[in-house]
Amino acid sequence: MPEVKSMFREVLPKQGQMSVEDVPAMVMCKPKLLPLKSVTLEKLEKMQREAQETIRQQEAAQREQQQQQKQ
Amino acid sequence: MEMQMDPLFLAWSYFRRRKFQPCSEICGQILETNPYDQAAWSLKTQVLTEMVYVDEVDVDQEGIAEMMLDDNAIAQVARPGTSMKLPGTSQGGGPSPAIRPMTQAGRPLSGFVRPSTQSGRPGTMEQAIRTPRTAHTARPVTSASGRFVRLGTASILTSPDGPFINLSRLNFTKYAQKPNLAKALFEYIFHHENDVKNALELAALATEHAQFKDWWWKVQLGKCYYRLGLYREAEKQFKSALKQQDMVDTFLYLAKVYIPLDQPITALTLLKQGLDHFPREVTLLTGIARIHEEMNNISSATEYYKEVLKQDNTHVEAIACIGSNHFYSDQPEIALRFYRRLLQMGVYNCELFNNLALCCFYAQQYDMTLSSFQRALSLATNDEEVADVWYNLGHVAVGIGDLNLAYQCLKLCLANNNNHAEAYNNLAVLEMRKGHTEQLHRCSKSEGCVPRSRGHVSPDQAAEATLRHPVNKTTEASAQPERTASILSVLSLSDTLGPPSYKPDILETPPPHTQSMIPLPLPTFRQEIDTTEF
Repeated sequence: MPEVKSMFREVLPKQGQMSVEDVPAMVMCKPKLLPLKSVTLEKLEKMQREAQETIRQQEAAQREQQQQQKQ
Repeated sequence: MEMQMDPLFLAWSYFRRRKFQPCSEICGQILETNPYDQAAWSLKTQVLTEMVYVDEVDVDQEGIAEMMLDDNAIAQVARPGTSMKLPGTSQGGGPSPAIRPMTQAGRPLSGFVRPSTQSGRPGTMEQAIRTPRTAHTARPVTSASGRFVRLGTASILTSPDGPFINLSRLNFTKYAQKPNLAKALFEYIFHHENDVKNALELAALATEHAQFKDWWWKVQLGKCYYRLGLYREAEKQFKSALKQQDMVDTFLYLAKVYIPLDQPITALTLLKQGLDHFPREVTLLTGIARIHEEMNNISSATEYYKEVLKQDNTHVEAIACIGSNHFYSDQPEIALRFYRRLLQMGVYNCELFNNLALCCFYAQQYDMTLSSFQRALSLATNDEEVADVWYNLGHVAVGIGDLNLAYQCLKLCLANNNNHAEAYNNLAVLEMRKGHTEQLHRCSKSEGCVPRSRGHVSPDQAAEATLRHPVNKTTEASAQPERTASILSVLSLSDTLGPPSYKPDILETPPPHTQSMIPLPLPTFRQEIDTTEF
């Protein structure tokens, strides 16, 4: 944008000290690529899920039985 | 009358087609009519093993106790580049730690996660204990309370008439003399029952019966010793097995023994020896690459992963690791090609679409970004994955300048995973930009109490959120002396944030870190690399 350049001219002093304050700025954590899972890990997680699921079903069945016995 | 197939033959056929459930049922029926049918019995042990079999090379579940009360490592303060416990000491190059997210242990996040890399090795006891035991980052107290035992108890609970084989009633001496039965039985005890002590007893008897001439039993003994944490004994067995027979697996197991002993260099030498016997073997090359990666030597790791890809161009781990390395070294276009390759190969899950979306965004292919994120969200299987996708969407929102959207994305991320430390940090940065110092305070406070479950936050990343103003101008800091002290110590530690000072030599150094409010995606990436260097 040439017209903007003409509006703001940079000033560089030819003599004397120049100082710039280094202000610490907040930085965001970087974007995160998610690691892909290995086959072993996926199988382990699947087995764990299935085991939990079957146990849950068994417990539910047990509870039902107990309720029926009470009635 | 219909012709019936011989049930044992049918069972074998099911086994070969990996239809384990029907196979196990048929074997059960045969055994009911004839409990002494050895063929059916042996087949059933094999079926039950196959159902829960995982590759022993990949398995590693160290408990906190083994890790912290570890007397195996020779040097507690190892020389740089010889230990995996000091991840910061490598000279390997690769992207700066300010760019690449960290695991809890301070290693750069890999592009691929295996059981042993899942939660990293915490540095201190406190860190280890503070890691919450959720389903995803669970680290058991000892390996005896690990995942395999939990799976084992589940399998006992789910079989109504007790376990298939009652181990306490078995006469191991008898079985050890029948090599054909013993091998199947051993695998059943080791993999299905996870009863390492009994497996070890059987293996010891069997190797004795074979007059110590069968390398297979030696490898199995080594596996048992490894599981029991007797690494030196395991090493002996594996070495003895290697003398009799060169096997790729044995090389891998032996290299694995040196990992808890913290001797990565020995492991590397051994794997290279293995490569002499089995040139260009993919698993050995992958093993070398993994060790380099764990030692934070990313450039060597990438070299070996490339070597892997030359042999096997569908190796998911290699593609993913090279892709993520390209992304974090500021080449998202190349990373995109690697991830696209994975998509072509049929990998179809939340992680891949999230990575594709990020690569698309930073490679300025904006048309694919949001649709990929959408697909990632729809494919996510648990809250943590959803949270990670929203976290990355927050970055996209910041990139396009929609700070409100970014705010909402991060809030959604936190709604899905309340322990997402990076999201707290970024939320704090957004609040800072809005000038809401009070909320900022709350964000950073809540980040302070986050138990760092996923833990990809390095100390200086966490410090960024607590840092509010240049120290000398902070009004709040004067009211909280201990906070100021911590900020000051952070300032002196962190390389990215130098103390506010006047720099007369400014003309020689690159311009100071000036972050624009709404950064364009790629330039900021480059900028951050520059600023971390001085």
